[in-house]
Amino acid sequence: MPLSNYILLSAVMFSIGAVGVMLRRNTIVVFMCIEIMLNAVNLSFVTFSKLHNDISGQVGVFFVMVVAAAEAAVGLAIMISVFRSILSVETTDSSELKL
Amino acid sequence: MISELVVFEPKLAHIVLSPLIGSILAFLIGKKFKAMAGWIASAAALIAFAITVGLFQKLSHGSIFEYKLFQWMSVGDFAVDFTFRFDALTAVMCLVITGVGSLIHLYSISYMSEDESKHRFFSYLNLFLFSMLLLVLGGNLLILFIGWEGVGLCSYLLIGFWFKNLSYAAAGKKAFVVNRIGDAGFLLAIFLISQYFGTIDFIALETKIQGFTDPTLIVPILTTIAFCLFIGATGKSAQIPLFVWLPDAMAGPTPVSALIHAATMVTAGVYMMARCSFIFDLAPYAMSVVVIIAALTAFVAGTIAIAQNDIKKVLAYSTVSQLGFMFLAAGSGAYWVAIFHVITHAFFKACLFLGAGSVIHGCHHEQDMRHMGGLAKKMPITFLTYLVSTLAIAGVAPLSGYWSKHAILAALEQNPNPYLASMLNIIVIMASITAVITAFYMTRSVAMTFLGEYKGHAHPHESPLLMTLPLVVLAGLASVAGYYGGDLAHFLESVLPVNGAHFHLEDIKSALLHSWPAFLGMGVALIVYTQLKELPNKIFNMFRPIGKLLQNKYYLDEIYGFVIVRPLEGMANLLWTKVDQSVVDGAVNGTAAIVDMSGEAVRSFQTGQVRTYMVFMFVGMVVIFGLYLAL
Amino acid sequence: MTELLWYITAALAIGSGLGVVMLRMPLYSALSLVLHLFTMAAMFAFLDAHFLATTQIIVYAGAIMVLVIFVIMLLSLEGTEKRPSIFLIGIAGAAAFGLLYMMAPAIRRTFPMTGGSLQGDVGTIGKSLYTDYIFSFEIASLLIMVAIVGAVVLAKRIKKNAT
Repeated sequence: MPLSNYILLSAVMFSIGAVGVMLRRNTIVVFMCIEIMLNAVNLSFVTFSKLHNDISGQVGVFFVMVVAAAEAAVGLAIMISVFRSILSVETTDSSELKL
Repeated sequence: MISELVVFEPKLAHIVLSPLIGSILAFLIGKKFKAMAGWIASAAALIAFAITVGLFQKLSHGSIFEYKLFQWMSVGDFAVDFTFRFDALTAVMCLVITGVGSLIHLYSISYMSEDESKHRFFSYLNLFLFSMLLLVLGGNLLILFIGWEGVGLCSYLLIGFWFKNLSYAAAGKKAFVVNRIGDAGFLLAIFLISQYFGTIDFIALETKIQGFTDPTLIVPILTTIAFCLFIGATGKSAQIPLFVWLPDAMAGPTPVSALIHAATMVTAGVYMMARCSFIFDLAPYAMSVVVIIAALTAFVAGTIAIAQNDIKKVLAYSTVSQLGFMFLAAGSGAYWVAIFHVITHAFFKACLFLGAGSVIHGCHHEQDMRHMGGLAKKMPITFLTYLVSTLAIAGVAPLSGYWSKHAILAALEQNPNPYLASMLNIIVIMASITAVITAFYMTRSVAMTFLGEYKGHAHPHESPLLMTLPLVVLAGLASVAGYYGGDLAHFLESVLPVNGAHFHLEDIKSALLHSWPAFLGMGVALIVYTQLKELPNKIFNMFRPIGKLLQNKYYLDEIYGFVIVRPLEGMANLLWTKVDQSVVDGAVNGTAAIVDMSGEAVRSFQTGQVRTYMVFMFVGMVVIFGLYLAL
Repeated sequence: MTELLWYITAALAIGSGLGVVMLRMPLYSALSLVLHLFTMAAMFAFLDAHFLATTQIIVYAGAIMVLVIFVIMLLSLEGTEKRPSIFLIGIAGAAAFGLLYMMAPAIRRTFPMTGGSLQGDVGTIGKSLYTDYIFSFEIASLLIMVAIVGAVVLAKRIKKNAT
């Protein structure tokens, strides 16, 4: 299996994730699309690690996962906190910074 | 005629400085001590007079005193110095200005004694003296113009002195605006002179112009310059078509009318013509226009004066008429004759105005002659001085008015101007008729005011000494000044060209014979206004349209209003609404609106929503990425 | 054989990704994401990164997604979202297509790429992690602790003074 296929798959997944972030209003779904983007990047990391016979790529993925976990925890906590005041998780319902 | 002897004399600055300081002091000190204002101002005027007399005596035949204050500007070849010059012409003018001015200052102390803004009045009066002296002492056209403008300003300030009355203030404004139109012509002349001859200093200019070997080369440009100068003169010296401000100027206090509108400011035009004689002598076509306009002005003003009932208005139109006479002389090349009439007119007209002021004061501010009468017994000194001045202005020998008027008519008859040759007879006849009319309306005013029975409601009384003394002095001067005509002509020879006008001292018999126009006018007026009292009214009703025409000054103000003022106002209105409001304001507001709108447009990016920012981020990233790949 | 399997897995990955983006209810999106994560793990396995494949399932699918589903349940989200405007869909789609279009030549240039013989097992990763990347490892643990504290503080209910 040529490795370029993996790269192509990674590119497509990233684009899908980006489109999802731009189009969905629900904050949790936005978060999930971000996870898709991170996963796509993870895939390309591992692919290049395989290409260059260097384990550093996979170590990188490890750390990405750690960060994703931390981000999930804090992000969801924020979401809950915001929900308590505006009773909605839609991103369009809070535009305090509008000029 | 250029004199060779130029002497440095710093006292010239003192003549000018005295009234200037007097003006400031009169205002500041007068505010606190009301009574002091008049005396300070009069003192300043008298000091100036004393210095002038001293310098006059020092002036020998043909010499010029000069004092340069500083070099004002120097641009390339063109340089202007702030210089005072005192030659024979200036000496004579200064003597009249400071002398008559001082008398009027003293008179005003009494006349304005009850006014609450005395300090302002005397401050302005002194300021006027300052400007007028600047005018006659100026060594170049620019200093003259400063004085010219200054007297215009003071005229405005003094005419509208009682500014709380809106019509008086409007009269002041009218004087200033009409003057300004003349000044535009004057300025044009200065521009042309500086452009074509490179200098505006009188001596340098005279040298340059008379240095042309072939004068015909510069005649066209000199004619244009002369025209422009004369336009300035019509404004300042109230000739047709710019004389309309002078009757309205009677709104000011009577001493103002005496000083400014009889003795000094209005003669500035004549002085200017005399000063620029070397220009006018080479422009016969312009001179012919001067003579024609002067003759018309004298005649028309005289006819209007016949039908006026306000004593000051009669004197105002009389002034316009007499100014016409002065320009008749100047326009015929007899400049010294014009100056002679300036001097005699200053004496008798100032006396007449001050006398009218005395009458108005005595009758408690009554100015309509139909409510006067019989004042001869109640105000004897005023009556006598007024009578003497009337005889003078009518031209009864041996009073001064006869000699100057006679000299004018003689100069007119001998006018060599080829452009006037065909009309000269008509003009002479017109001038003679005007002389008769002058005698008529002046005697009419005497009869209506002093003779007959008193028709008013006040208790007229003679005026105090401070008012009657100047009257007597002026009347005396008006009587004897004529005999010095020959001395004057000789004195002014060094400055002004003679052009064939000489002074003839006649014996008393032939002089009286030549005064026949005066006797004619006076006789008719006396008969009509003392014996046949109903006759004027009957004639008025017979020729009602002509009578109305004369009484309403040929409706000139209304014509001007319709033809000039209203279109100007309309245009100003149009410019205001269509240009200023729509275009200019539109552009300014439009710019603001554009900024506003673009701000709104950019503001729409800041929605406050994360999603929008995400879209922008992503699209921006793609664009940068693309640019990076492309380049 | 392997190839066919790979293509099926890739199709599942893309399909579940699209599912996350397009499904109405957040719960369905979450479940779709779980599937996506499983297919990603499979991809890792295809690349001989066994440790990562396992970690992906345990950590990502097992812990993070559980957390997400907890939150969805807690907030009782219903999926009453309005559809995005066509304008927005157009822009987003255009941007995504643009990105892919630009990347395509680069990707095509790399064809064909064959990999080495790296085996991503625990030992190899462990050795690298504890020697070359020890500092990052320690920082990562610190990060997790901070995240825990932050999450607890943020999600805490504010106690009212009155009883």
